[in-house]
Amino acid sequence: MRTSREAANLLRGRIAIAALISAVGFSVVAARLVDVMVLSSTVRRESPVTPAIKRADIVDRNGALIARDLPVTDLYATPAVFWDPAGAAHQLAAVTSAGEERLTAAFAPKKGYILVQRSLTPEQRDAVMQLGLPGLEFVAGHKRFYPSGRTVAHAVGQVDTDDNGISGLELGLQNRLRSDDDPVRLSLDIRVQYVVEHEAAEAMQSFHARAAGGIVMNVHTGEIWALASLPDYEPNLRKLQPGDSVRNRMTQDVYELGSIFKIFAFTEAVEEKTVSLDEPINVVSPYRLGHYLIHDFERLGPALPAAMVFADSSNIGTAQIELRSGPDKQKPFLRKLGLLSPLKTELPEMASPLYPRHWETVEAATIAYGHGISVNPLTFAAAAAAVVNGGTLIHPTFLRHREAQQGERVISEETSRTMRQLLRLVVTNGTGTKADVPGYDVGGKTGTAEKAENGSYAHHLLISSFCGVFPIDDPQFLVFLMLDEPHGNRESGGFATGGETAAPAVGRIIARIAPLLGVAQRDTYVAANP
Amino acid sequence: MIRILNFTLIVITGLISLGVYRIAEQARMTAVELRETKSEIASENQSLTVLGAEWARLTQPARVQALAQRYLNLNDRPAVQRASVTQLPSKFAPPPESAIRNASAVMAQRSRAIPTLHAGT
Repeated sequence: MRTSREAANLLRGRIAIAALISAVGFSVVAARLVDVMVLSSTVRRESPVTPAIKRADIVDRNGALIARDLPVTDLYATPAVFWDPAGAAHQLAAVTSAGEERLTAAFAPKKGYILVQRSLTPEQRDAVMQLGLPGLEFVAGHKRFYPSGRTVAHAVGQVDTDDNGISGLELGLQNRLRSDDDPVRLSLDIRVQYVVEHEAAEAMQSFHARAAGGIVMNVHTGEIWALASLPDYEPNLRKLQPGDSVRNRMTQDVYELGSIFKIFAFTEAVEEKTVSLDEPINVVSPYRLGHYLIHDFERLGPALPAAMVFADSSNIGTAQIELRSGPDKQKPFLRKLGLLSPLKTELPEMASPLYPRHWETVEAATIAYGHGISVNPLTFAAAAAAVVNGGTLIHPTFLRHREAQQGERVISEETSRTMRQLLRLVVTNGTGTKADVPGYDVGGKTGTAEKAENGSYAHHLLISSFCGVFPIDDPQFLVFLMLDEPHGNRESGGFATGGETAAPAVGRIIARIAPLLGVAQRDTYVAANP
Repeated sequence: MIRILNFTLIVITGLISLGVYRIAEQARMTAVELRETKSEIASENQSLTVLGAEWARLTQPARVQALAQRYLNLNDRPAVQRASVTQLPSKFAPPPESAIRNASAVMAQRSRAIPTLHAGT
């Protein structure tokens, strides 16, 4: 039997053990608290804020902003919460730009989740807050903003109300714009783009043309520095104004470009050595080919040296030179230059060329001077770049890409050199004299095509164009300008031809943009010496 | 003995609780500050985005040209390049004397040629 003293000792021992266990327990808890609060405070890391899905900026080659998502607030309503839906509709219509009738109709069933207005201004937002209505929600969103407005509308395209690309590079570069926050740097230069757009608009106005367009491209890198199409549209408004057009005439439309195509007939002849540039060619008008008669724009004399056939743009002479090669060589040659297949660039709107299924002698002769084949101007520019850049085919691109492309060789360097001399001759002694700019040695070719109307060619409906390259001994840039249905004016002596309408505009464009493009002005004068 | 131990433990527990509370409160305040700063940064970034777009709108070439024509009274003349950077003497190697003489000759020739350049452009 234990004594009471022993029992008391036992109890005291048990209490001490229990106290010790408690002390250890508290120490562990305290140590853990200090550890959690102080030492490893990073354990409670805040979950990263999930960024709203938005599109990356688009900038030009120098980093100037072309398109950016700006934060906006959209207003939504839950009509089920409204005591007086009609009153709420009236109040909301008064402070936002939403229509009262639409809101009244939408709120009447007292159910659903109704969009009241997109893109509230800060003032509208404050006014809505002041109403103190229940059941309203502000949702943060984005709206695509184009600071340069119309200037780059056609190339850049636009997005729909949900910020999805629906045209132009906004559609063509959709994945890149969505996947990465870094700005997409285009090959376009906003200053050059503005000059081209401005000169095209001036020419379009002074010659009362229906439409106009222009392209500036680096002939070595394939970078498109400017692409303008008029009429254009305001991408920040989501509807077209009277007279606006969303058609990109430089890529979406195909044209019979006329004499400007003689570049390819002569390139082929020089490459195949079927012509010597000083040999006389009979250009007596009209030239009979089967049932067809080929005319020249003006009487050029009984005979011309082959080089002057090009410079004076004789259809008769060019057709004869082409027929020395014939359709069997012409078709593969044009195919090699990429003129018979759709061009692939980042722009989704790209029309395929149209050419005759039966390509016989007559077709070969007319295609030589640019009738009977329709291509979009950008496809033409890419092929013309290959003719002057030393003979390699480059792929036009809208992304900045500094290095020269190692394109497929399509003609010899020697042919390219001869063609540059011929193009210079057009500007010094031929139809393109109005495109010359002192110090920049412009070479080029004029084009005046008659538009097909009701199955025949209409003499008064023209597509007038000029394709210029400079400096001609080592071309860096190609400038193309086209006018759809221009009318002669006093300045052009009443003529609406490419040499009188498009060529002077190209000259003005070159004079304005060459300093921006970094092409040095020289005081040597490169004379044509084919 | 056991009383002293109990008392000590209670005091220690009390002190630790106070310390932990203080630290927890500081941490909470810091978290609040952090949240506020982050939201300020986000708001500043948003302003930058908007102001960048506004800047691009205000400096677009069409607007600048219109303003320049209205206020600056400058002639719309094409730029004429009078010299090239390649004509400058090299910093590292002194150019031969002939090159300098040629450059001055070229410059003199250019300055004579300039007045005719504006015609036809």
